[in-house]
Amino acid sequence: MKLVTAVVKPFKLDEVKVAVKAVGVTGLTVGQVRGFGHTGGHIEIYRGKEYEFDFVDKIQIEVIVTDEMVEEVIDAIVAAARTDTVGDGIAWVTDVEHVIRIRTNERGPKAL
Amino acid sequence: MLDAASNIPYPSWLNPADNTWQIVAATLVGLMSLPGIAVLYGGLVRKKWIVNTMMMTFSAFSLTLLVWMLWGYNMAFGPLAHFGPTGSFWSGFVGHFTPLATASSEQGQAVSGANTLIPFHFSTATLAYFQFVFAAITPILFLGALVGRIKFKAWLLIVPLWITLVYCVNAALLWGGGFFAQKGAVDYSGGYVIHLSAGVAAFVGAWIVGPRRWQDRENAFPSNLMMVAVGAGILWLGWNGFNGGDPFYAGADMASAVLNTNVATAAGLLTWMFWDMFLSRQKKPTFLGAINGMICGLVAITPSAGWVNGVGAILVGLIASTVVWFAWTYLSRCRPFSKVDDALGVVYTHGFAGLTGGLLVGLLADPAMTEYGVKGAHYKGIGAFFVRGWFFGHSLHQLWEQFLAAAWIICWTAVGTFLIFHFVKFVLGGLRESEETLREGDIAIHEEEAFPEPTFGEPVLTPSHTHPDNV
Repeated sequence: MKLVTAVVKPFKLDEVKVAVKAVGVTGLTVGQVRGFGHTGGHIEIYRGKEYEFDFVDKIQIEVIVTDEMVEEVIDAIVAAARTDTVGDGIAWVTDVEHVIRIRTNERGPKAL
Repeated sequence: MLDAASNIPYPSWLNPADNTWQIVAATLVGLMSLPGIAVLYGGLVRKKWIVNTMMMTFSAFSLTLLVWMLWGYNMAFGPLAHFGPTGSFWSGFVGHFTPLATASSEQGQAVSGANTLIPFHFSTATLAYFQFVFAAITPILFLGALVGRIKFKAWLLIVPLWITLVYCVNAALLWGGGFFAQKGAVDYSGGYVIHLSAGVAAFVGAWIVGPRRWQDRENAFPSNLMMVAVGAGILWLGWNGFNGGDPFYAGADMASAVLNTNVATAAGLLTWMFWDMFLSRQKKPTFLGAINGMICGLVAITPSAGWVNGVGAILVGLIASTVVWFAWTYLSRCRPFSKVDDALGVVYTHGFAGLTGGLLVGLLADPAMTEYGVKGAHYKGIGAFFVRGWFFGHSLHQLWEQFLAAAWIICWTAVGTFLIFHFVKFVLGGLRESEETLREGDIAIHEEEAFPEPTFGEPVLTPSHTHPDNV
């Protein structure tokens, strides 16, 4: 099994959710995060003075999938989260050793 | 029912409508401080200074009221102490250092040099409370220059000293029938006594206390713009009491003062917004800019609210907002302004706006705008009061009187503030919180924060909970 993590623009969350559900993902976890990439931060103006905000608001999406589904899920996320402008974010894939469903104590892919 | 109502034993001098309006107006002005300025300033400071800022606002309000009852009211509005021959400056300098605390002094008819044209139709308690809320907001306004480093204990000493030595003297001289009032300088509701004075005290005070930590200045973004909106809205509408209360009668002049106040404020807000959109570096209409313009309009119409006509009110808002916008944008880069850390810019929105408004009285006051009566219906044959500006009388006399009064307010406030701050610095061994405290902010000073975030979840029983002492 694999963990797919994607950091995307906040207003893209719903599109990503719909896209990954369409390819068969049954659950995902999101969090509000802040960070910077090549773009750097942004400027805000308060009372005539400019302030640099180094960290930009993003949504981090985590979804665990079976090995066969990985490419399909990545394609879905990229297609949904892409705006072709700077700051679209990144995604990465890591190995998952075990998955346990807490209510039933089921293990492995059937716990997803 | 009608019989019962008409038999309520009002004293013959008391008019229930005037008495009611005066207390309502006073309450509106009180709301401008609590919670108006508390949340406006709380929203403008960094998150770590919200509690400290609000606490200083509420404590200043309380301190001023006790000072007011014990000696402040009689110093500012009681009979003058006549330190010199009649008509001289020292004769009209300040009132007596006596308390306002007996039954008869609260419930008797208000008498004050503040108005010698018509007897007041309400009691001394009404006048004292109305004048108190004006006194209270003045140090609360210049608090905006000092937030983020001033020692809390220093603030508790500065407020009573400043009210006594600076505010009471200025109020007696301009409002209590003192020297400048006798000379003919006018200040409808406090463009000088409150706003110009607060602006000067802000500048001098911030200079003596020294700047905030550079880290706090670099990260000085506001904590909450929605709270700024709440505070600013209360300020605007509260100003209906500020200027509407100062004729002291619920008449036509009161209503025109309220309308003019709102007109100047709208003009001031829009003027700042347009300068932001077309002249600022970023060309963006900013909310906090609009609020600055709103305050400029409110402050600048304060010295003239009932004495200018509608066109005059628009001009007051437009001119004051423009003057302050340019001062805020350009003058702030020049010495000495660039060297003094006036945290929330009080010297601009109150000092410059108050001065501009006070001088504009000398130009724009329309003699057809009458106070205490309308044409042909004066009180017992006494002519209505009005002010004649240059545009209506081809005389610069009023402008000259306004200028002299402004010069006095600036000098007395600057010297008084300088001496008081240095005295408190000497007594407490400093005016600033320690460097460690300044890093931490609210929690270090008050053990409180504006948005407490306890740990997630629910507490579980631990052995100490089951101990007999704790059950």
